[in-house]
Amino acid sequence: MKLTNRFLGILAEAWLPVALIVLWWLASAGSTSLYFPPLAEIVSVGVRDITEGPLLSYAAFSLTNLAAGLAIAIVVGVVAGVILGSSQRLRDAVNPYLQFIRSVPQVALVPLIIGALGIGALPKIWSISFACVWPVLLNTIDGVKGIDTALTDFSKSYRLSKRTHVLDMVLPAALPQIVPGVRTALAIGVIVMVVSEIYGADSGLGYYILQSGRNFAVAETWAGTILVGLLGYLLSRLFEIFEHFALRWHRESSAQARRG
Amino acid sequence: MNTVTKSLTRTAADATPATPALEAREVEVTYRAGAFAKTVLKGLNVTVNPGEFVCIVGPSGVGKTTLLRCLSGLLRPTAGEVRVVGRTVVAPPEEIAVVFQDYSRSLLPWMNALKNVALPLKGRGVSKAKREAKAREVLATVGLSDAAEKYPWQLSGGMQQRVAIARALAYDARILVMDEPFASVDAQTRFELEDLVLELRDRLGICVVLVTHDIDEAVYLSDRVVVLANSPASVIDTVEIDLPFPRDQIATKSLHEFAEFRGRILGEILHSRAQEK
Repeated sequence: MKLTNRFLGILAEAWLPVALIVLWWLASAGSTSLYFPPLAEIVSVGVRDITEGPLLSYAAFSLTNLAAGLAIAIVVGVVAGVILGSSQRLRDAVNPYLQFIRSVPQVALVPLIIGALGIGALPKIWSISFACVWPVLLNTIDGVKGIDTALTDFSKSYRLSKRTHVLDMVLPAALPQIVPGVRTALAIGVIVMVVSEIYGADSGLGYYILQSGRNFAVAETWAGTILVGLLGYLLSRLFEIFEHFALRWHRESSAQARRG
Repeated sequence: MNTVTKSLTRTAADATPATPALEAREVEVTYRAGAFAKTVLKGLNVTVNPGEFVCIVGPSGVGKTTLLRCLSGLLRPTAGEVRVVGRTVVAPPEEIAVVFQDYSRSLLPWMNALKNVALPLKGRGVSKAKREAKAREVLATVGLSDAAEKYPWQLSGGMQQRVAIARALAYDARILVMDEPFASVDAQTRFELEDLVLELRDRLGICVVLVTHDIDEAVYLSDRVVVLANSPASVIDTVEIDLPFPRDQIATKSLHEFAEFRGRILGEILHSRAQEK
């Protein structure tokens, strides 16, 4: 029974994308348009470049940058968020700048960062982390700011150290807000990952897309774009699984609170 | 579970005129919010002797929780002082363990019962193995040996409150301070928990200060009831409850004297309310 339900669930989710792919495949078959090559050609070019060409190593380069950039953004965002979230005075002082910086389109800064730091992986990692840090930071501030005073009273009356208070109380309590911030950062990170490889790059998925586009190898451009889309989708699904386990306590305890 | 024996240690403590375990002297608390200032407590005196069970009763909103925050060192009084074993309290003292009003807010849902209970010992720099051994021991004391690995949201309200009590016990404090601890559990569970606390007091020789708005509960549990009323609140009466121990939910509450204590305290609270209006 459970298995059937699960199967039906997958079916309900998958029928539309499968139908669209089939439609695309059939409609584009025999297309002679330069910009819309047959899907069959896109797939075969993609498979060729993955198995024999550079696409796999490009993907590895891009994903490593993304992972490093996100890791920096999360560490910086969470640490700064805990500090700012705990101090009203500090928040008041920094808030105007925060609001300003997060309104700046992060992608527009990529050429500047790369211009300043030169080619190679490092400026790409900085670009990604600079764009990803804001949603993590702002969500962490909100989460820490909104912590129940009962927890602070508890830490005080049981004389817990600052370290224990932050690690065992503040961070877990803010986690339900931090996690959505990281999810947003992940989506932004994928975009900046591609954009950062358009300037001063000699590797990466963005570089592949740009180069093939310049050479009018449109099937390659499509293949690269679709691959980025698939990777982005896969990462967000993996993140959902992580979220499911990391926030189980939050789901269950709010459910219990609703039951009363 | 219903009957509670009075231990010898407590009687011995009564006999010696020792330093009070906890003392509020002429405590005054004024909250300020901009131009507004509200004095919640004024000229308030409470004494709790070692091993004693004292309940503080008063109508809702009278300032019981404020007093309790002062007694536990979470709030500095605007005037007067709080003393723990003769020492002036300036920050939460290690002799006091607090059981907060709302267990659903003070138990951590991301930790199982064992970790929750072991947490206060982190503040004392106890090793992890010893923390967990102690946590298991106190969980057994409150009858929750089997629930150590369960998370708070997997436990009933009464069981969660037992975990909160166990957590306070793990801290090995001499004084247990409880803020309306049984307000959100059903009546049967409340009776069980009341008897559990009486039993723990006897077994561990600790003293208990419990804040409640329930007069029956106060009379049933206490050696002494402190009645708060008026605004700003002060102590309008201190009632020595000389009902025999062990206390029993049915026998004790059927005593003529129980009804008299109850009537006296209720009368005082109603009278003070009538005067305010």
